[in-house]
Amino acid sequence: MDLQSLVNGILLGGVYACVGIGFSLVWGVTNVINLAHGAMITLGAYVTFWAYQGLGLDPFLSIPLAMLAMGALGYGIQRYLVNLVVRTGVFMTLILTFGVQLVLIDTALFLFSGDYRAVTPSYGGAGLDLGAVVVPYVRLAIFGIGLLLTFVLHLFMTRTRTGNAIRATALNRDAAQLVGVDIGRIYAVTFAIGGALAGAAGALLSTLYTITPVMGQPLLGKAFVIACLGGLGTMWGSLIGGLILGLAETVGAVTIGPAYQQALSFGLLVVILVVRPEGIVGQKFFAEVK
Amino acid sequence: MTRPPGRRAALTGAAAGALVVAALALPWLASGYWVRVLSGVFMFGALAQSLNVIVGFTGYADFGNVVFFGLGAYTTAALMTKAGWAFGPSWVLGGCLAAAAAGLLGLPLLRLRGHYFAIATIGVLEAVREITSNVAFFGGGMGITLPVFAGPPEVFYRTIYYLLLVVLVAFTGLAWWLARSRFGYALRAIKADEEAAAVMGVHTTRYKVLAWALSALCTGLVGGIYAYWLTYIEPPFVFDILISVKYWIMMLLGGAGTVLGPLAGAIILESLSVAIWGQFLRGHMLVLGLVISLVILFMPTGFMDLVRLRFSPAAVVDNLRRNRI
Repeated sequence: MDLQSLVNGILLGGVYACVGIGFSLVWGVTNVINLAHGAMITLGAYVTFWAYQGLGLDPFLSIPLAMLAMGALGYGIQRYLVNLVVRTGVFMTLILTFGVQLVLIDTALFLFSGDYRAVTPSYGGAGLDLGAVVVPYVRLAIFGIGLLLTFVLHLFMTRTRTGNAIRATALNRDAAQLVGVDIGRIYAVTFAIGGALAGAAGALLSTLYTITPVMGQPLLGKAFVIACLGGLGTMWGSLIGGLILGLAETVGAVTIGPAYQQALSFGLLVVILVVRPEGIVGQKFFAEVK
Repeated sequence: MTRPPGRRAALTGAAAGALVVAALALPWLASGYWVRVLSGVFMFGALAQSLNVIVGFTGYADFGNVVFFGLGAYTTAALMTKAGWAFGPSWVLGGCLAAAAAGLLGLPLLRLRGHYFAIATIGVLEAVREITSNVAFFGGGMGITLPVFAGPPEVFYRTIYYLLLVVLVAFTGLAWWLARSRFGYALRAIKADEEAAAVMGVHTTRYKVLAWALSALCTGLVGGIYAYWLTYIEPPFVFDILISVKYWIMMLLGGAGTVLGPLAGAIILESLSVAIWGQFLRGHMLVLGLVISLVILFMPTGFMDLVRLRFSPAAVVDNLRRNRI
């Protein structure tokens, strides 16, 4: 075990935190398991790619653009689709989002073709050389933005009226409605925030990975793990979950071998679930069985 | 409009009998294409019924159910190639091994409720898939090629067809038994309210583990047939979560916890996707996604519920009104 892999693991954790946070929020608040989350990350990456290609916009500057686009898409999906069947329970909405996912991926394939694309800013390969370890700038920036997004989300949820309404709805939908919360709108706003976070994740990941219409699929599995490790619907949970997963994968690749990376991270997930099912920083009343 | 119960049962029996006879005769009348399409329908119907035992009746969301499919497929393949066994015993042992795996995993995992159980099953699936890909005995990432059936291909495909038909009818019979028996009643009590069931004297752990093992046995048996049918398997094929997504959708479309629902769901979705695949070479996923979304919007409680309501438009509208927010 060397210092470099530890640093790599922590930085990868920052990437994973961005992937998991929107998914966890939507699941925790609305009880909708959004299988289209991976596809929304993909579309966010395409927004960044086209902004980079067409307008010459730096990938980090196009984050607000990707967030806006995916936030609007998320709002529409929840308001005009998922809200219509949301009372049937978690599995019907799951299948509905699976259908939405198929539509989104195929549309991306249709519009953008299956070609591999990449965003390659000039500073892409550069890193901070600290002697024993090298810290790539891009990954460091992603880690920082992940922290920032988490912090802003935390402020929004605890300091604003809408944020409080979202948390109240997560605790008890019917009680929230009784005290005057428009839960249909709150669900749509929550999904919009989840979509915006997916868009941000896509914009960030476009600088690291090749962009294809199916790039989001493996990330969906990771989002599940991250959300459950940290605790559903908690703002800091995804950061913790992402860090644990990132470290487990990197350290596992070094000590056991890269072939068993997934087995290790998912094995870890199963152990965490059995030992502490509410997640590491999860709280009672959040995302209980409904 | 109510019919006397005796007449209704006789009608249902006659209809089911006619369907079975038609299914038995089909390979001798239709082309190889239809035999293949129907074999697919039977396979997914059988898988949806297997899933129905743990999800529909017991209420435990087994997202990673396809792990038992893979275990059944791999055990069958390994016994046939490495030990030189015939298909029959390898197949049965494959199913038993899947059941044993579920029994062992069930003791810790079935203590989890709701989402947590669901996610844990995905974790098990991913871990098992990767371990299988790396173990040399299972051919690693190279996969396994099974011994080829000795005989003409039509006979082989007909054998697979009948084998799948038999398991489908058997598993539907199992669902019918679960809907009536004491065992099935205990499972439904656990689904409705686990604490209440325990208070009423249901040994919940034992029943849950048995239900999961039964579901895994069925899934594993289908996996074994699939391995023999394909004659070549590799981990990404048989441990593919998308396979379970497909039969999950079928079970829910038809109606979870009903006897005929999973079967109806398999027929509906498989015919739709075959038709769409044929019609739209490009964009078939888009059309399938749209169709799935529309079906969920208009029958959010499943097809069998619509049958129960006799397809009344008022009931559909009422459903839509009740489930929105």
